[in-house]
Amino acid sequence: MAASALSRAFSTALVGLGGLLWLAAILFMAQTAQNSEQFSRLHPWILGINVAGLVMLVGLLATKLAQLVRDFQGHVIGSRLKARMVLIFGVLATLPILLVYFFAVQFLNKGIDSWFNVEIRKSLDDALVLSRSALETRMREHLADTQLVADELTMSSEPMPGLLETLRQRVGALDIVVATDTGSVIAIGKGLSSEVVPEEVPGEVLLQLRQGRPFVSLEPQPEGGYLVRTAVPMGDSAPGRQRLVVQAVYPVAERLGALADTVQAAYQQFGEKDYLRRPLKASFILTLTVVLLLSLLAAWYGAIFTAQKLVQPIQDLVKGTRAVAEGDLDTRLPLTSRDEMGFLVQSFNDMTKRLRRAREDQLRAQQAAETERTNLAVILARLSTGVVSLEPDLRVRTANRAAGMILGEDLESAVGLSFGELGAGRPGEGLLRQFVESCGARFAAGDVEWREQLTFKAGSGRRVVMCACTPLPGEGDAPGGYVLVFDDITTMLQAQREAAWGEVARRLAHEIKNPLTPIRLSAERMRLKLMPSMSEKDAQLLDRGTETIVQQVEAMKEMVNAFSEYARAPRFEMASLGLNRLVTEVTDLYRAQVMGRGVRLKVALDPALTTVLADQGRLRQMLHNLLTNAVEALEGHPDGEIRVATHLATRDGAEFAEVVVEDNGPGFPRELIGQVFDPYVTTKARGTGLGLAIVRKIVEEHGGSIEADNRPGGGARVRVGLPVDESSRGQAWREQRGPEPRRERA
Amino acid sequence: MSNSQSPRRRSTQEFLRQGAMLFLCFLATAGVTPAAAETVVEVRGASLSLDQDVYELDARLEVSLPEDARKAIEAGLTMRLDYEIELARVRNYMLDATVAKLVQSYELNYHALSQRYLVRNLNTGEQQDFGTLQAALERLTEVRGLPVIDSALVEPGNAYEGRVRAVLDLNSGSEALRWILFWTDDWSATSEWYEWPLPP
Repeated sequence: MAASALSRAFSTALVGLGGLLWLAAILFMAQTAQNSEQFSRLHPWILGINVAGLVMLVGLLATKLAQLVRDFQGHVIGSRLKARMVLIFGVLATLPILLVYFFAVQFLNKGIDSWFNVEIRKSLDDALVLSRSALETRMREHLADTQLVADELTMSSEPMPGLLETLRQRVGALDIVVATDTGSVIAIGKGLSSEVVPEEVPGEVLLQLRQGRPFVSLEPQPEGGYLVRTAVPMGDSAPGRQRLVVQAVYPVAERLGALADTVQAAYQQFGEKDYLRRPLKASFILTLTVVLLLSLLAAWYGAIFTAQKLVQPIQDLVKGTRAVAEGDLDTRLPLTSRDEMGFLVQSFNDMTKRLRRAREDQLRAQQAAETERTNLAVILARLSTGVVSLEPDLRVRTANRAAGMILGEDLESAVGLSFGELGAGRPGEGLLRQFVESCGARFAAGDVEWREQLTFKAGSGRRVVMCACTPLPGEGDAPGGYVLVFDDITTMLQAQREAAWGEVARRLAHEIKNPLTPIRLSAERMRLKLMPSMSEKDAQLLDRGTETIVQQVEAMKEMVNAFSEYARAPRFEMASLGLNRLVTEVTDLYRAQVMGRGVRLKVALDPALTTVLADQGRLRQMLHNLLTNAVEALEGHPDGEIRVATHLATRDGAEFAEVVVEDNGPGFPRELIGQVFDPYVTTKARGTGLGLAIVRKIVEEHGGSIEADNRPGGGARVRVGLPVDESSRGQAWREQRGPEPRRERA
Repeated sequence: MSNSQSPRRRSTQEFLRQGAMLFLCFLATAGVTPAAAETVVEVRGASLSLDQDVYELDARLEVSLPEDARKAIEAGLTMRLDYEIELARVRNYMLDATVAKLVQSYELNYHALSQRYLVRNLNTGEQQDFGTLQAALERLTEVRGLPVIDSALVEPGNAYEGRVRAVLDLNSGSEALRWILFWTDDWSATSEWYEWPLPP
């Protein structure tokens, strides 16, 4: 990302710099358009700027092409299309540029050559020769004049200065100088207007004269025009005498000089240009080449730029589509144009926006459903009611914890199993099996909406479960599954029964106890008043009758007291006490009594069991009732044996004291085994049927549990579980509230 | 025909020209011929002499022009020769202080009509003509009695040093064509500085 941004910044900087350079070049060109001197001065800079622009363009193009090649080799999306477009655009731009370049070079070569064709060169040469001939004619005439002057001077005897001036005026010379052949001036004849004429004889002139040749030359003047310098030796010099020379300088007619200057200037300029023809052509061609290269590079760069512009939205779309396919709905494509491609990009952005909104809505709904489901799961988990939902094909969809606890199996791990498989492999009296059989029979009969109280056998007791089945709404008429809702109402029914019996006991105690005392008192009064006056036979009859009444009243009072005891509200004084010690005390009271009846009393105490949290009086009564029950059960039974044992047991991490009282008597009748703790359920002729009912009440008051069943070898067995401290009492309380302990109690 | 290009500008142009040429040669599109023999300019001797309270310069150069340069002159190009003359006061711990500085410039070109070589003193405007290029070059390469500085400006007791060097270049008489010279062979040359102590 960073590298891409850096590359973009670099390209932008190069383009900006290139633009500035181009602007500078154009400004230079504008400045020099009317001023050739400035152009000559700035020409290298203009060229330099163009070359710099060229270099930058090459750099830019190389960067772009390298990127294009990398993308192509890396199979970047859109790179093939981009390469194809660049190639097409580039070739389309290159062909006409090259064609124009080729013809321009040809035109330049031929055009420049045509400026210097042979005819022009020959014409100028001829003009020069002609001008030179015209001037040479004058020069020869002036040389002849100078020779004449020299001859006159040689032959004349007149004084030289006067003669010299006369001769100068005659030949029209600007000045005439007579000098020795070493250059020493002897006489000068000078006109007034000939200020510029040198008065010395140049060495070049003297050298030529010494060689015996007359001197004549055409001398261009700095300010234009020409002079003709002539020089000849004077006469024949005698040996030993110094030889004299005459130098005369003549003007060239102004008109002729001007014409000659024109010819000279034209010739010189042509010669100069002719000489510079090659570099001129080279410079033009090179300039054209620079322009060609700039155009070519700009065209290729433009091709890449245009292709990039065209392909970029496609690349963005592909990337965006991939991102959306991968789930990134936040993708937004840059809107680079307002054309059809822009419309496509806009549509894509709208689509992703709508998709994102839809997904957010879906997520919200999903979260709400999830929350609902979690809440429902929490509610179901906390429910004491068992809930099992089934698929339409009766496979278990869900089952809460309470369902497993009620049915004594882990149903949460049975999710996915068919309903029929749940009961398979279970013991014959397993609650789950009985439950599956009961419900399965309903499903098999096509009954999908029902409510029924089901009674199951559970060990020594029975379990009553209220179960309801309801079909779940599905698609169309077919049900979407079924839900079984059931609750263990055994305890509730038991409580209802207990409450009813408590009320009966209270009413019995109230309604029956009150008339007992008047009955007894009346019987005793009748006996006391009537016996003395009665015959012995009648008195005996009255005595037996009243005695029977009194005994039966006492018996009835005892029974009413027992009812009162059952119905009275408990008054507890909970304290930590030694269970083993209490068991020892109570069993010691019975030991002598049972031994007299030929019954053995065996006590096995667990030394690990130290204390329990209980009301000592109530616990003592519980033990009395249990032992009394056992003793009465062994009446008339030879070789009777009562076993009392204590254990320190652990259940679900909590410690319990277990007291087991068993005998080897006839045991509980099988048909009554689920009702032995109910009031007035007894198999004894004289029993009230409240002993075990009171025991269970005491156990429940202590937060314990109790079970009654028959031993495998015969005889009854009662197991009492008592909490040892508050924590286990709490545990027992929780279990008592929950579904688990129900299994323990009968 | 005057040309006031300074040496620094010429060297900048030279740098740009060489850079452009190098680049264009690299592009293999240039048709410019490579430089032939080089122009040689060397100061053979120079001295300052006092004449009527004015120090005058006598200097002598040696100039060797390659054949192409001679042909270029005959074709109409102008040769320019600049004498750069400096008189500096020598200082021990600082850069020397330039007391006088002047440039004496000459132009040489060929006059086809008269078949004469014209030498023009650009400082005075004087012009001389010569029958041969060699004679003209001899005139150019010999400086006699060129006034440099008034003796009053030369403080007695200080050490002075004279310096002279020559810069030779070919140029076009036409402004319009001068830029083309950028693409021609380089016949310009600059001599080393010739330095000598001024006699006390």
